[in-house]
Amino acid sequence: MSFKDEDEVARYIGGIFQEAFKDEELGPTLADTGLVVSFRYTEPDAVLTVDMGNHQVYQGERDDVDPSATMYMKAETANAYWQGAVNLPFAIARGKVTVEGNVASLLKLAPLGSKLFSVYTGMLERDGRQDLLVDK
Amino acid sequence: MVATGEQRTYSSVSVSPLSFWATTAEEREESFRLLREHDPVSWQVPLEGSLMPPQQQGIWAVVRHEDIVYVSKNPEIFSSAQGVQQEEVPGDILAAAESFLGMDAPEHSRLRRLVSAAFTPKQVAKIEDQIKNQAEQIVDDLLATGDCDFVEQVSKRLPMWTIYEMMGLDPAKRETAAAAADGMVSWADEDVAAGREPGQVLNESLVTLLSTGMEFAEHRRKNPANDLMTNLVQAEIDGEKLTDEEIGAFFVLLSVAGNDTTRNTITLTMKALCDFPEQRDLLLEDFEGRIDTAIEEFVRWVTPVMTFRRTVTQDTELRGRQISAGEWVVMFYSSGNRDESVFADPHRFDVTRRPNPHVAFGGGGPHFCLGNMLAKTQLRAIFDQLLHRAPKLEVGEPSYLVGNFVRGVKSMPCRLG
Repeated sequence: MSFKDEDEVARYIGGIFQEAFKDEELGPTLADTGLVVSFRYTEPDAVLTVDMGNHQVYQGERDDVDPSATMYMKAETANAYWQGAVNLPFAIARGKVTVEGNVASLLKLAPLGSKLFSVYTGMLERDGRQDLLVDK
Repeated sequence: MVATGEQRTYSSVSVSPLSFWATTAEEREESFRLLREHDPVSWQVPLEGSLMPPQQQGIWAVVRHEDIVYVSKNPEIFSSAQGVQQEEVPGDILAAAESFLGMDAPEHSRLRRLVSAAFTPKQVAKIEDQIKNQAEQIVDDLLATGDCDFVEQVSKRLPMWTIYEMMGLDPAKRETAAAAADGMVSWADEDVAAGREPGQVLNESLVTLLSTGMEFAEHRRKNPANDLMTNLVQAEIDGEKLTDEEIGAFFVLLSVAGNDTTRNTITLTMKALCDFPEQRDLLLEDFEGRIDTAIEEFVRWVTPVMTFRRTVTQDTELRGRQISAGEWVVMFYSSGNRDESVFADPHRFDVTRRPNPHVAFGGGGPHFCLGNMLAKTQLRAIFDQLLHRAPKLEVGEPSYLVGNFVRGVKSMPCRLG
């Protein structure tokens, strides 16, 4: 299962960051990374740009933010990725995920991975979106 | 949880900064000697890493031979499942890069058994013949080339050729795969990184090896041949087979463990044989009779893998130090192999040393180097060729790789004399 449209992608994937920004521990840690990451999804097409330093999530094409890295994947892969069910190096090797820009910068997010995954699964469970939960 | 009552102070002898790993092995040994004597299980600042910020407050450095063996042989206390490198590496990368090196029983045993099943006696005999021919060809080329970089011309060629020939990898893909294998262990070195960030070097190297390995596995499922990859895709124990992902991760492990270790052992053994000509003469007096014993000394002397890490699964005690569950223990093999309580005159290169209970292939236990026989076969073949056919070969000063994992040599000039 995947998302129905860009709004839904923004609500959930963007929502991970919006919720994490409010968290006492995650908020400042994400800001400290200073990262700007763009996510470009297909099926459905969706573009999200997350400016960690300024705690902003932008939906749609933006000319005024300059991402340090852009990740391309199907929205379905993103859904699984944010639940910790996708291994990034394997996914890149299989061509399921493409990263443009500074891959190394994404490693700054690695220590936060499991916490962000719980934020996401928590949101899905709260909204009764069992259809989006994946088996790990 | 840190045990109450114990004050943690970092050791006054630090082995953490990258600047420490930029010194020579002989200089580092001075610190290890002090630690072996005064602080054998020392609390150290987390080793300087370059991929992500340290999540640990510190690491326990284990430097005595006896303790390295103890840690190695008690995997239920000292686990490999959370990674074996001494710097923080993202979990995704560990899962894709370490294969059974980064696992505990029962997963470790299952995967290692399946991989071992691919090394049939027939396959091993074929590999031995290949190695002899490769060593001969490499020395033919060396004699034709004359003075050159020994690493490029000799030590780099044999392990790559051996590993990828036995796997059956398309020759056109071997250089790229070997370069990626280098990147996996040398991301901290400025020359290798060439302006890229360490994480980028690591990621690009890993993805290259994974995709090469997985594509190759798929290819051999459809087009079986008489090689190790075919055996791997066909290996079956109790109805279980390896997945392409598992083979991909094993391909990464094999490329890394099989390339750099033997390469650097060949390079630095050649240097030792030049530095101690009386040992070279002694070996040549009875090559067939002495080479097997000498090889043990080659690997002790070089100790190509300097460190491996474990994560403690339960509160435990080692030499009176209270170690808490979740903390990291790093074994310093370079130090264990110079432990004066085990090796008489440990700083002497002695090709007749017996007994020689070195920990260069690990301190025993389930993770003992699977490729040790293969490495010994390569060392025997290449030194048989080099010492007999290039008797006046001399080498210059090596240029070392900066890093805290493998003891690497980037280049070393040689003269045929």
